[in-house]
Amino acid sequence: MTYEETIRQKVIEVLVDEFELDQELLQPEATLYDDLGLDSLDAVDMVVALEKAFGMKMNDEEKIRAVKTVDDLIRLIVSIGEQHAN
Amino acid sequence: MNTDVVIIGSGISGLTAAALLAQKGKRVIILEKKSRPGGALKRFKRQGIPFDVGFHYTGGLGKGEILRVLWEHLNILPGLSIQPFPPHGNDQVSIKDSDKTVRCFFSYELLQKELQRVFPHEKHGINEYMDTIRSICSTIPFFNLDLPLTPFLRNLFGPANTNLADALKTLTKDQELQTILNTPAFLHGVPPENVSLATHAIVAHSYYSGAYALDGGGQAIVDAFVSELNKAGVHIKTSCAAQEIMVHNSRVSGVRSSNEEIHAADVIFTGHPTHLLDIINGQVFRPVYCNRLRELKNTGSMFIVFGAVDDPDSLQETTWVNYYSVQKGMGLLAVHPESPENSSMMLTTPGRRDSDAISTNSARGVILMRPADWCETADFQKSETGKRPAAYEDWKSDQTEKLLGQAHKLWGGTIGEIKPLAAGSPLTLRDELGNPQGGVYGVKHSLGQFITGARTRLPGLWLSGQGTLMTGIMGASLSGFVTAGEMLGLEELWDEVRQCR
Ligand SMILES: Cc1cc2nc3c(=O)[nH]c(=O)nc-3n(C[C@H](O)[C@H](O)[C@H](O)COP(=O)(O)OP(=O)(O)OC[C@H]3O[C@@H](n4cnc5c(N)ncnc54)[C@H](O)[C@@H]3O)c2cc1C
Repeated sequence: MTYEETIRQKVIEVLVDEFELDQELLQPEATLYDDLGLDSLDAVDMVVALEKAFGMKMNDEEKIRAVKTVDDLIRLIVSIGEQHAN
Repeated sequence: MNTDVVIIGSGISGLTAAALLAQKGKRVIILEKKSRPGGALKRFKRQGIPFDVGFHYTGGLGKGEILRVLWEHLNILPGLSIQPFPPHGNDQVSIKDSDKTVRCFFSYELLQKELQRVFPHEKHGINEYMDTIRSICSTIPFFNLDLPLTPFLRNLFGPANTNLADALKTLTKDQELQTILNTPAFLHGVPPENVSLATHAIVAHSYYSGAYALDGGGQAIVDAFVSELNKAGVHIKTSCAAQEIMVHNSRVSGVRSSNEEIHAADVIFTGHPTHLLDIINGQVFRPVYCNRLRELKNTGSMFIVFGAVDDPDSLQETTWVNYYSVQKGMGLLAVHPESPENSSMMLTTPGRRDSDAISTNSARGVILMRPADWCETADFQKSETGKRPAAYEDWKSDQTEKLLGQAHKLWGGTIGEIKPLAAGSPLTLRDELGNPQGGVYGVKHSLGQFITGARTRLPGLWLSGQGTLMTGIMGASLSGFVTAGEMLGLEELWDEVRQCR
């Protein structure tokens, strides 16, 4: 499994377990707000859950706010992971 | 029984939210599990001497400052007699193993002069520190009332989220100056490595801008609110614990208390957020939110001695001074139960600040505090108030003696002999205030911990209290305001409150 696939799997796991979302809905292009029914109130929960799952800090508010789809979310985690590695 | 809003808890946050909602014509019932309203602001008496628990002094009560503006809006001010600390009033901080004692005045100007006097080589760092604190606070609507509230409240990370310890180290290499600038940690309970510069700034700035006492202490605030709430038709039911928040069709339907069911479309819970899970079926939330509530970390605790002196004149000097003795460096809140000489300590005499202190005996009261750890009470944690084992009383007496001995060494010359009348441990704070692990200020407002704000995912359920916004009287009052604002319309309510400037 590639690095990105591992991340994808874990993000989906978090969304299913911690947010009780239906796995089938979690397509890459699914939008968090319209398709998955998450709203701004969920943003903090999302950050908390992902920080815990990946053991890293998310602190770029602009980048987090720019996340629209499941794929955006995965790409954000991948990029933070790469920053950490450097 | 039916009402519009049930508020669980009658601390300053619940009282504030109740007053705001009642002003808007809402029918409000407050449920309080203790026999008297007021939460941490209640006073208690020993040998006729009144003692404050959760109120020694506050900022925010100067003209045009937020707490005063809010109380003006709520018509609470006429019932209160505010006593500003006079210019010579200060937090007198002595640093252990050093000959330095610094008077931290409640004024930027005086404090700056004093710091420059004691640390003549650190002028640059001192000025920069003060500029930093002021400039952070100028971006916070509660200090700069021209700003809108929503952007501040919806911000995920908040301003200035670097840690205080690092910030101080870049400002000055002088460990003693770092120590002094750290002292507000006593008032928010978070060690400098864990606290954001912004959280520190909020607390520090509110005191650097002026400190205030009130005739009658925290109890006077409670009494003023209760009297206004009575007029507005708000019922406060004491000795009445909320046992279940009822949910129907995926929204709140009311509260079941020890005596009855109250139906209401909205419920505000002001207790420690972790305790929300004790009275609601957690399945109404997503697992992620339950975990957040469950895993909230708390501030450290305190061991507190309430004592008296025979001759109130001996305390004259202490009236407008809070005495602190602190460890050098960043270890201000470190706990040393077995070697009290290493522990930071605070001595204060809030009762003396009442204008009728002498005639009411409150001039004799002295309060001593040291940081304490929940583990210190490991052997007694299963016990409840009134049913503690004898060994607990022995431990408490022993700790009281140690604290008094240390106070005598440090300040005996000024205050003379203190006779202990009562003591509070982490267990007292847990059982009297409902703070898990006896955390003195409840939820820790620390870096990396996301506090749970007023809004929840369950329609009709709201949170409030010191754990949801900021700590202290000011923080908890503002949390009550923010929760009411979220329910009624944030910016509209903010506009109305600001008009009372
Ligand atoms: C020792 C100490 C010293 C302090 N000194 C200062 C100071 O000098 N200056 C300052 O600004 N701040 C100070 N504080 C902090 C300040 O007192 C608090 O931040 C503030 O009072 C908290 O208000 P609150 O409404 O959030 O909570 P609380 O006052 O704790 O109120 C919560 C209420 O909810 C009730 N409750 C909880 N669960 C239930 C339930 N299920 N049913 C019914 N009722 C329930 C509780 O009994 C309690 O009365 C101090 C605190 C302590 C402990």
